[in-house]
Amino acid sequence: MSTPAENEADNEHQKSKKPADTAFKQQRLPAWQPIITANTALPVFLAIGLIFIPIGIVLVVTSERVLEFDLDYTDTNCMSLNVSNTTCADVLAQANYTGASCTCQKSFTLDKDFEGDVYFYYGLVNYYQNHRRYVRSRDDNQLLGKKDAVSSDCQPFQKSVNGTDITPCGAIANSKFNDSLVLSMNGNISVPLLRTGIAWSTDKAVKFKNPDNPQNWFATNPRPPNWQQDAWHLDTNLTDDNNGYQNEDFIVWMRTAAMPTFRKLYRKLSLTESTTFQNGLPKGTYVLTITYNYPVTSFSGRKQFIISTTSWMGGKNPFLGWAYITVGIICMITFVVFLVLHKTWKTDDPLAYQMRSMQMNQRTAAGYN
Amino acid sequence: MDDDTKRIITINHGPQQTKFVSNRISTSKYSILSFLPKFLFEQFRKYSNIFFLCIAVLQQIPGVSPTGRYTTAVPLSIILCCAAIKEIIEDVKRHFQDGAVNKRRVLIYRSGNWLYTTWQRVKVGDIVKVLDNEFFPADLVLLSSGEPHSICYIQTSNLDGETNLKVRQGLPQTAHMISSVQLRDLLGVIECELPNRNLYDFAGTLKLNNVAFPIPLGSDQILLRGSQLKNTAWIYGLVIYSGHDTKLMMNSSSVPFKRTNVEQVTNSQILFLLVLLLILCLFSTIAGEIWNYRNKAAHWYLGLTRLTDDKTANSIPNHFGYTFLTFFILFNNLIPISLQITIDLVKFIQAYFINWDIDMYDPETDTPASARTSNLNEELGQVKYIFSDKTGTLTKNVMIFKQCTISGIMYGSGNVAEFNSYELLKNLEYHTSSKQIREFLTLLATCHTVVPENKLNTDSFNDVAYQASSPDEYALVTAVKEMGVVFFRRTPDSVVISFRGQEETYEILNVLEFSSERKRMSVIVRSPNNEIKLYCKGADSVIMERLVADEPNVPLTMEHLESFAKDGLRTLCLAYRTLTDQEYKEWLVRHREASTAINNRNELVAEVAERIERNLILLGATGIEDKLQDQVPDSLSMLLKAGIKIWVLTGDKKETAVNIGYSCKLLSDQLLNLTLDEATLDDTQRQLREHCQTFGDSLRKENLASLIIEGKTLKYALSPSCRQDFLDLAISCKTVICCRVSPKQKAEVVELVKQSTNEITLAVGDGANDVGMIQTAHVGVGIMGREGVQAACASDYTIGQFRFLTKLLFVHGVWSYRRLCKVLLYSFYKNICLYVMELWFAFHNGFSGQILFERWTIAIYNVLFTAAPPMALGLLDRCCSAETMMRFPAIYKMSQNRSDFNIKVFWSWCLNAVYHSIILYFMSYAMLRHDVAYSNGQAGDYLLLGNMIYTYVIFVVCLKAGLESDSWTMLTHIAIWGSIASWFVFFIIYSNIWPTIPLAPEMRGMAKYVFSSMYFWFGLILIPITALLADFIYNCLQRTLYKTLMQEVQEKEVANQDPYDLVMARQTSTVSRVAERLALLKSVFVRTRTPKMSGIIPGPYHGFAFSQEEDGVVPQNQLIRTYDTNIQKPPGL
Repeated sequence: MSTPAENEADNEHQKSKKPADTAFKQQRLPAWQPIITANTALPVFLAIGLIFIPIGIVLVVTSERVLEFDLDYTDTNCMSLNVSNTTCADVLAQANYTGASCTCQKSFTLDKDFEGDVYFYYGLVNYYQNHRRYVRSRDDNQLLGKKDAVSSDCQPFQKSVNGTDITPCGAIANSKFNDSLVLSMNGNISVPLLRTGIAWSTDKAVKFKNPDNPQNWFATNPRPPNWQQDAWHLDTNLTDDNNGYQNEDFIVWMRTAAMPTFRKLYRKLSLTESTTFQNGLPKGTYVLTITYNYPVTSFSGRKQFIISTTSWMGGKNPFLGWAYITVGIICMITFVVFLVLHKTWKTDDPLAYQMRSMQMNQRTAAGYN
Repeated sequence: MDDDTKRIITINHGPQQTKFVSNRISTSKYSILSFLPKFLFEQFRKYSNIFFLCIAVLQQIPGVSPTGRYTTAVPLSIILCCAAIKEIIEDVKRHFQDGAVNKRRVLIYRSGNWLYTTWQRVKVGDIVKVLDNEFFPADLVLLSSGEPHSICYIQTSNLDGETNLKVRQGLPQTAHMISSVQLRDLLGVIECELPNRNLYDFAGTLKLNNVAFPIPLGSDQILLRGSQLKNTAWIYGLVIYSGHDTKLMMNSSSVPFKRTNVEQVTNSQILFLLVLLLILCLFSTIAGEIWNYRNKAAHWYLGLTRLTDDKTANSIPNHFGYTFLTFFILFNNLIPISLQITIDLVKFIQAYFINWDIDMYDPETDTPASARTSNLNEELGQVKYIFSDKTGTLTKNVMIFKQCTISGIMYGSGNVAEFNSYELLKNLEYHTSSKQIREFLTLLATCHTVVPENKLNTDSFNDVAYQASSPDEYALVTAVKEMGVVFFRRTPDSVVISFRGQEETYEILNVLEFSSERKRMSVIVRSPNNEIKLYCKGADSVIMERLVADEPNVPLTMEHLESFAKDGLRTLCLAYRTLTDQEYKEWLVRHREASTAINNRNELVAEVAERIERNLILLGATGIEDKLQDQVPDSLSMLLKAGIKIWVLTGDKKETAVNIGYSCKLLSDQLLNLTLDEATLDDTQRQLREHCQTFGDSLRKENLASLIIEGKTLKYALSPSCRQDFLDLAISCKTVICCRVSPKQKAEVVELVKQSTNEITLAVGDGANDVGMIQTAHVGVGIMGREGVQAACASDYTIGQFRFLTKLLFVHGVWSYRRLCKVLLYSFYKNICLYVMELWFAFHNGFSGQILFERWTIAIYNVLFTAAPPMALGLLDRCCSAETMMRFPAIYKMSQNRSDFNIKVFWSWCLNAVYHSIILYFMSYAMLRHDVAYSNGQAGDYLLLGNMIYTYVIFVVCLKAGLESDSWTMLTHIAIWGSIASWFVFFIIYSNIWPTIPLAPEMRGMAKYVFSSMYFWFGLILIPITALLADFIYNCLQRTLYKTLMQEVQEKEVANQDPYDLVMARQTSTVSRVAERLALLKSVFVRTRTPKMSGIIPGPYHGFAFSQEEDGVVPQNQLIRTYDTNIQKPPGL
């Protein structure tokens, strides 16, 4: 059965086979064609050089203004107060790391006033907080205050011997840094320290929440095997806000460091509590009283106590400044080299070449058109 | 029953006993049901997909994966979805094309009625009626036709490439069936061989109920699908093979999967990279195990000892194999997961650019160019050899009478499209040569095998249409008709013409047939004034030696012939003589004897003909233009300039092919023309050796030489003993013309070059006879002509005209190649740049396999943050404008040499990536070494560092794409800056979803803390710039010191200057060198030329060519005698 109408429809359909003449389809989109030669790139190098070198200088100066004091108290700087001529590290070793504690005192002198905000850090060296199994070994749901069974990620610190979930579970929590560092000026004026404001605000506000009825919860559930007390007793001042999962020392620890050498914020100097320290930490002699609980000698780790001010950038680190200066200088050198290249290039071959091509142009103009 | 060896078809007897394949054809890949399994099978045949599937499976093993369980599975499924969508779009297109063919209409006779139906409904045993110029819907047995003796003409150029029409004749037993009444009474059985792919042979028998004995059927009765009915009002045919059983479909095997050169290099590099990956994993594993062994107990806080002690809990496995897997998963993305899909998508859209190109749209046939497969785009940029068909590709298969010379006077001009007859007609009236002119025109009107077809009113001469199996004769008869000498009636023994209004009847006494040995055709006629004349037309070489002794016009005619030949016209010489009755009678007796001889009849007849075709009087010569497709000579010369070698493979005769060679400017006197026309293997071998030796040092180099080889010689040349010599000789020539080659030989020639030169070959053709070579060549291009779609269906690209090939290669090819290379290199680069970072980090984390970044942010690195820049590179980048690239084919040589993508380039990009990752990682590491990144004294963690580095990586990788772009369009900007922005947006959102969505707790607050760190911002300025500084300086130096031609041209273009002299300046030196070589070569060849050596075309070329079917079903003589145009033809209903 022939239907001519259909054929006509077909014909009309075929009319539109001609491609559309649009810039995109014809690949004629207007385009910027950067031609990077020694010539055209000159200003770029000059600009980078001129901008980077001053930035670098500013950054280096900024970094230099930051004051920092390091005290490595791993061994000889921390001689046990109870056992004579023995380092606290040895005391712990002799007790076979079964929760023995050791106290030591170390005095040191600050040569300069640490003005403004002063921060106290503990630093660990050769400590692999970035080990894959270690990083994994936590349960963020538990830390949100949920009472569900914890994830197997926490292994081998998931469950206690009797099968109940450890609170908080995991290797990170279990290995929480538990030395306590107390600082006093001239041996008698204790330096007022803030235990809060050291953790990331988002962590404190969102990621770490205590479960309902925390005191009971933490008391009835097993604590990590290395802990001497449960999570509800982390802050002995018993401010509820800084206990349990919400303890800021704990939160800081739970942010695993990137490198095997790292530092973590321990305390902030309270500028308001005492007039002596209202402008920062004045120069003078200080005594650091250390309750040495944390064993690091088995893996040749080091422990440090660090006092530092900050700049608008943060801690002391001149690298970025010097890197800016270096790159700036490289750019300036390149600029000079290219300038020379450009000059010689211009006078050498191409001029003759241009002359030749111009002549050819004239000769071939008629033929070409 | 021997049903297994033959096919039995009943006629007019209801349904067939056996079930045959339906006539519906399908070239599509999938159906709705088969899509999923077939698609998955196809996809997972690709190594990369298997690889990532394995990774995804490995990630399911608990505790092994450092990146979680689904971070490979999700991107992989996204990528597979993209691939699926692409496949669906492509296949739907194929379904539509098939549908168009399947839904063509045809008239069939079923149970006593004629009805229109679609091709797909045609069944074996159906009787169909096909009208003039229609295609046959299936393989048919010719029953009867509207012509006498059930003759019909068919055009098979689509199948075998031969230009002349072929004659088919139905069996006498069925010839009378010219109406449905008679068809109804046709009862019987056809037995024939099973479907096969042999185009030229057929064996079967027809057993009719009313005929006692079976009647043999041969190939003379077969009308094949793919051919076209010509000059015949209608035919009845009985369907014997349908659908995929037809010879045509049997011959068009499924499109072979073509793997591109770039793909091959990529694959081998992927394997290298895989080995590297394994080494890396092994190294990391060993390092990790050593670390573990040394530190497991000491680093008590890790709880590693406790892990292995605790056998009761489903403890995390921890041994060598698992550690290895961990690293394997960690580093697996060194091999870019998105590479395949990026390339597929880029190529897919590049193919659309080809389809969209308005410059490649042929308004005459309403065909835009079309890329049927998208995975060969970049090959178009590297073509070194083009194998072209002649008919329909280079030529239009239309002959036009252009010029003639009569008695030494030339008429017509080569510059004008049509012959102007004014002067000729004037001279016919008044000039001294008017008698010759008259004879000339009479000869053209009488000496031929054309049959006139008078439409309704027989007296209006202008309405006469002609049927001719020879397009040359058609052109000549039509030309004289235009001059008022109209051939309008043929009876079995006479020809009636109207000579400028005066009716004259010439009695045809004898026809001396044309054959390629004789190279001439004569008729002996009795003119109206009762003279007996012999009219002869043929090649100049045979006519000239048969002329009367002192013919005065010979030198002038020869001169004119040369000028015709130079213009590429096909020439024929015309001569006549008057015979006395006595002479004729004597000859006739001999002729009768010869033509009734039992042995050697043909030779005897030829010998007798020889006796009378002498003492001829030269009338003149004709020049017929075999119309070329538009701009073919220009296109060919551009292709040659681009360093592409052109081979013409044609089924036509040598003369015709050579002729086209000249008219296309492929052959010229500026070239050394070699011919190979040997009859035996030994001769061929000897000749090849000789030529090769003469070439000496320049063998296998580019010479200004051309080679013409005959089909039968080619057969020997392709034999194992000659192969190498032939190849050496052929690739020493700029142009090679192979004549009288079968479709299979075409494919063999292509295969030979493809196998032994390691260069990219391209085959272009329009007919089914080109299918073989189109499928064999690296790239097959089909000309979508007015007729036939077979070649187009088998090809990778179809274009409407040969001239579009230049744009396809010079613009789309070069662009696609350069773009694709950049995409490939860039894809490897970006992945290595990011993932090698994990290795550096491993040095800092005790080779534990910890990742520096959040798992999902790196999982979607390839599918989101860095997906757009490669697309921009792959689609928008362009070095020079299309116009410039078209003007300077020399630019093409750059991509032809594959300088953009090879092992060296690949590994330098990989090293570049490693260098970037070192800069990125260690600078960031040093920057945050003291952890305290905030003025409020707070410290970061590993992810803070990770996210900063990740941001820098995104910057570097995206800007690197910009640095590699030759042109920045608006979309490039969007792709680059958009990608960077997408990371920031993602980062901000992703850092705020925990715990609302239980995902990525470690990311919570990251964005806020990263952005509030001054270190981050200062690092953001410094680190990416530092990383890219070296690249930038390298680019500057390269541009300044080692500029490529392309870059120079680009600079000129940007500066709005004409790059003409620049390109020329670079070329002149080579051209002059080549010219020198030619002179040298010619001298060598001339010196060594012996009388025996037939290798070089002797003397000036005169351009004889004439096409006529020889040894057909119906001899020319009989063909002439069968027609009586006084009788009305049957209407066939």
